[in-house]
Parts: sequence; C-alpha cells; structure tokens
Amino acid sequence: MFDLDRIISLLRQGRHIAEETVYTLCLLSQELLMNESNVTHVNTPVTICGDIHGQLHDLLTLFEKSGGIEKSRYIFLGDFVDRGFYSLESFLLLLCYKLRYPDRITLIRGNHETRQITKVYGFYDEIMRKYGNSNVWRYCCEVFDYLSLGAIVNQSVFCVHGGLSPDVMTIDEIRSVDRKQEVPHEGAMCDLLWSDPDDVDTWSLSPRGAGFLFGGQQVQEFLSRNGVDLIARAHQLVMEGYKEMFDNGLVTVWSAPNYCYRCGNVAAVLRIDDDLSRSYTIFEAVQPQNDVGNTILPTRKPQMDYFL
Amino acid sequence: MERVVQQTDYDALSCRISAIYKGYLPSPCYQLAKCGYMGYKEIHMDYINGLKHVSRRIHGKVTRTLQSSYPVMNYGTYLRTVSIDLELNGILSKIGKDQRVQILDLGGGSDLRMVPLLRNYPNLKFVDVDYSESTKVKSKALWETQGLREFLKLQEPQGDQLVRSDRYELISCDLNDLNQTSVKLDKVTDADVPTIIITECVLCYMTQDASQKLIEYLINHYKSGHWVSYDPIGGSSENDRFGTIMQANLRDSRNLEMPTLMIFNSKEKYANRFAPLQTSIQDMWELFNKIPQDEIKRLKSLQFLDELEELKVMQTHYVFCKSQWGNV
Ligand SMILES: C[S@@+](CC[C@H](N)C(=O)[O-])C[C@H]1O[C@@H](n2cnc3c(N)ncnc32)[C@H](O)[C@@H]1O
Repeated sequence: MFDLDRIISLLRQGRHIAEETVYTLCLLSQELLMNESNVTHVNTPVTICGDIHGQLHDLLTLFEKSGGIEKSRYIFLGDFVDRGFYSLESFLLLLCYKLRYPDRITLIRGNHETRQITKVYGFYDEIMRKYGNSNVWRYCCEVFDYLSLGAIVNQSVFCVHGGLSPDVMTIDEIRSVDRKQEVPHEGAMCDLLWSDPDDVDTWSLSPRGAGFLFGGQQVQEFLSRNGVDLIARAHQLVMEGYKEMFDNGLVTVWSAPNYCYRCGNVAAVLRIDDDLSRSYTIFEAVQPQNDVGNTILPTRKPQMDYFL
Repeated sequence: MERVVQQTDYDALSCRISAIYKGYLPSPCYQLAKCGYMGYKEIHMDYINGLKHVSRRIHGKVTRTLQSSYPVMNYGTYLRTVSIDLELNGILSKIGKDQRVQILDLGGGSDLRMVPLLRNYPNLKFVDVDYSESTKVKSKALWETQGLREFLKLQEPQGDQLVRSDRYELISCDLNDLNQTSVKLDKVTDADVPTIIITECVLCYMTQDASQKLIEYLINHYKSGHWVSYDPIGGSSENDRFGTIMQANLRDSRNLEMPTLMIFNSKEKYANRFAPLQTSIQDMWELFNKIPQDEIKRLKSLQFLDELEELKVMQTHYVFCKSQWGNV
C-alpha cells in the first residue's frame, strides 16, 4: 500500500525505504514535475531555501524554523543531494512533500542533480551502501531530469540555482529550453545551474570549469530587462548563511549549516512577504548528539575528511 | 591514545595512494621536473603490495576508499605533498650533492620520500622516526618489497630489529619522551652535519609542552638546519568554528586529540613555535593560488572540482611552515 504520510514519517526518522516504494515515488514525482514549466510562477509569501546536500536533520530544522510545509510555501533552489549522509532521505522527503502539497513547494534543479556529479560527490555511493545496487540512484536521476530550472515570485524575484547565462537575456528564453535531459556541459541550461556572481566587469570564465562568472552590470541589466528586483540563488557556501550583492540585486542563500559536518557555517532561508519585503532566518546545525548523549548524526563517516 | 595517533598514518598513506591513483601525484611539473623524482607511482604501489603481505587489515584500511575519494581531499593531499617535496628539494640542491646532509622525518609513518631523495642525493642520510608500532610495519613492508629492499640496500633484520642500511635508519621512539629521542637520534645522526627536520602532521598530536621542548632541543642540538612543518590550525577569527568542530569530530569519531589546534590557531602563533628562528609560513590556500595555470588545468582534468568555497575553508586551516637556523 502506498501511504504517503507513512513514508514521510519514515523518511523524517531517516529510516530505510523499500526499493519498490522509491520506484513508485519517483514515477509519481516525474508525472507531476513533467507538467511544470521550466520557470514556475510562485506567489508570496514564500520561503526560499538554498543548498541542502543530504543534511536531513538540518532540513528538518529548516522546516521547523520557517513555519513548516503544512503552513507555508517553499522554493528549494537545488543541490538536495551529495556530500551529506542522507541525500536519499532528504530528496525523497522533498518529493513526498511535493506530491502531498503540490502547490506549496517548488523544486529547482541544482548542479548536483545530475548523474555525473552524483557519481563523484557521494549520492551514488550512498545508494550503493544502502541498497547494494544502483537502481534507486537511477530512479532518482530520472526525476532530476524533470526538475524546473527556475521560479519567479510575484513577477519580482527570479530564483535559480547558480546564476545568469550570456545565452539568456530574458526569463522567457528559459522557457524554450528542453530541460528533460542530463545537464549539458555548456549552454543556457548549464550556466543557470553553474554560474557565480563575482567582482567582474563582464562575463568571465568560471574557475569551476562550468558556467560563467557575472558581475554587477550583468545583474542590473538582467533585472531591468526582465522587470524584476532580485535574483535569489544558492550554489555557494556563505559562512553567514546569506549574502546580498550588487545593491541588493542578488542574494546567495545557503541552507546547509556546518556544511559537510565541518565547515562551521550557519545557514539561512529567505522569506519574501506579500509586500515583497525580505527577511532572513538563520539557523545552526543539529548537534551530533542530543542532551542525554544519544547519537542523532552518525559521526563515523564512510570517508575520512580531514588531513591527518 | 598512542595507538589512535599511530593509526593516523594509515589515513595519510591512504590519501596519498588515492591522490596517486587519481593522477594528482606525482606532479609532472613539480615532482618530476623540479625534484627529479623517478618511479614515484611504482614505489608506492610496490610498497602497498608489500604492506598486503604484512597485514591484510592495514592494507584494507589504506585501499578501502580509493575509488570514492573526494576532489577536495585529493587537492589537499596534493598541496601538502608537493609543497614539502619542493621545499626539501630546494634546500638539498642549495646545499649541493657533495655535501653531507641528513634528514630526520619525525613521525614519518609510511612516508616514502626517502626513496627518491636518497637516489638523487648521494651524500644524504635519511632517518625515519615513529612509534614502534609504525616502524615495525614499515620495516616489514619495506623488506617485503623487493624493489625497495634492493634499492635501499637494506640489511636483513635479526630478531626484532628493524631494517637499516648505511644511509637509511628507521628508529622506534616516542617523540614525547625527549630523553629517549635524544639518545636514539644521537646514535644515528651527527650534530655537525646540516640537518633537515620534517614534521608533516605530527606536532599537532603532541602536547604543547612536549612539542615545544622537542623543537627547542633539536634546533639547539643540530648546529645548522631547516625545519619543514605541515599542520592544521584551528583558526583565530571571531566566528571561525572550524577548529572546535574538527576537535569535536575527531574526538567523537575516533578518540583522537589535537591538543594544540586551538592554541597555535593562527599562522602567526604557529610560526612562533619556532622563535627565534627565521621562519616563514603560508596557509595551503595561499599556496594553491600560486599554482600555475597549466598545472591547474591538469588537476582539473583529473576529477571535477565542483566548488572552491569548501576547498578554501579547509585549506586556510592548514599551514606550511619553514624555519632555518645556523649556516645552511
Ligand atoms: C598523520 S601521520 C603522518 C605521517 C607522515 N608524516 C605523513 O605525513 O604521511 C602522524 C604520524 O606521527 C606519528 N607520531 C605522532 N606522535 C608521535 C610521537 N609522540 N612519537 C612518535 N611518532 C609519533 C604517528 O605514529 C604517525 O605515524
């Protein structure tokens, strides 16, 4: 029996989900996402969230601190998986919420929602560890291909995972991209997921090897050309949780506190209210142990990630 | 505690093997062209094979994560290894091939630098120092590796002796015990010969008192020398929590302590450990940013590095420090 609420409750506890259940979940999600456009329209009030990276417990904190899915609307800017221990649970939880409350949550694709990147950065290995085969990874990758590329809040805030592209002058142009594919190595779709804002005068090569660096001028031009006030994006670790740039024309929102369980940063989400005012909620990482010393997070990691 | 600290050697080795496996090491422009290293990969693979005969458990530990190593880790291992190699090479070539010189690799663990260095510098003597648990394993693994055994001209160990040769010594010793350390080093080194001391991720496991006494003793005992050191620093800016989180993570996951991480938590404080010597220190992020474009391009082609922010957070918390004393 496919009982969404029960699956949600299991996921929230980080419990194992049967392969067939994941299959069904992914199939249903695909059908739902298929009908969304590349750039989804979302109304205020809404909470915009940055990278999650498999930090399930911190994702639960995020919902707790920002009203919860039962009461509020959310946009997630991508990078649900990789790096943390609970990529699968985090991603599936968001999919379940999407199925359960389709109008209350928008999921945008991040540069980690691809076959190639998840093979290097942990999601694939996590699935092999948890299931002994890669089926579940394949089901999830199929869903990745259907995630939106962006969202627009009240015709005023443009949401995207990475940033701008020299191939995308207007938001309308994004609508004509054929998004249902693995993220290409170049072109508009790649740039939207990979680019970074920086102190540059013009489009410049990104040190990441994909996407571009863009500066204040590119941002101002994009804003005025498209009649929007703000670009909300994620993609880059910000130690303070968020960072506004270019006369507040762009903001980076980062929602994975103590990233990779070692960076020591705080996380943030951005709420856009009906009057388009912005407010940030800052939150900290879940402690690895609770007050009575019971483990919440496993500290024995599959990999050693300090230089010893 | 001693065992927990000793085990960190297998992490360091595992990282190095992974960086070799993925092609980060050896670096053609640094280790091959500048340092003249030959057979770097083969030396390590042979050693790993030898290790398999000594202990399947340790071999398993070292090779377990080979396939799935993260780029940030490989970049960090690359930076640390190449920085030290370049520095050693700079010092050695300045001293010259016909000068006698000695290297003390303190807490050397499974480091195999002695192989290319002994080959390239005929008047070099190389001394590896570590806990007996480590040296026993290394001794056996070297002996099991025909190529290394022959190259190093190792003498067959009798009873529970360790391998040795005229130019290579493996010393079992607790560096926290200064008395023992000084006696054992005196037997195999010459205080008048220019001396290079390496501490690569070693001082961080010692107490403040023991490490400072060790530094003070050695820089006074050896007439002239260089000290090359690599270690983590906890970070000193107000909101920097890297160090305290690192301490907590290492404590929780493996009972490992880094007693001075938050004491010498900045570049300045770390460099001061070597006062009054002439010392220069850089964090690994600064060194990363000095890598020429061609080499960066090569590194990028090995594995896709998806972000720089995390690399920066990590590498600003590791330092490379070099000091000099006397007339070398
Ligand atoms: C992280 S490993 C580094 C090994 C090697 N230097 C490298 O970078 O590959 C630390 C080494 O220091 C050694 N060590 C730490 N404290 C020591 C002590 N008090 N006496 C002897 N060896 C020590 C450990 O046994 C271990 O081999």
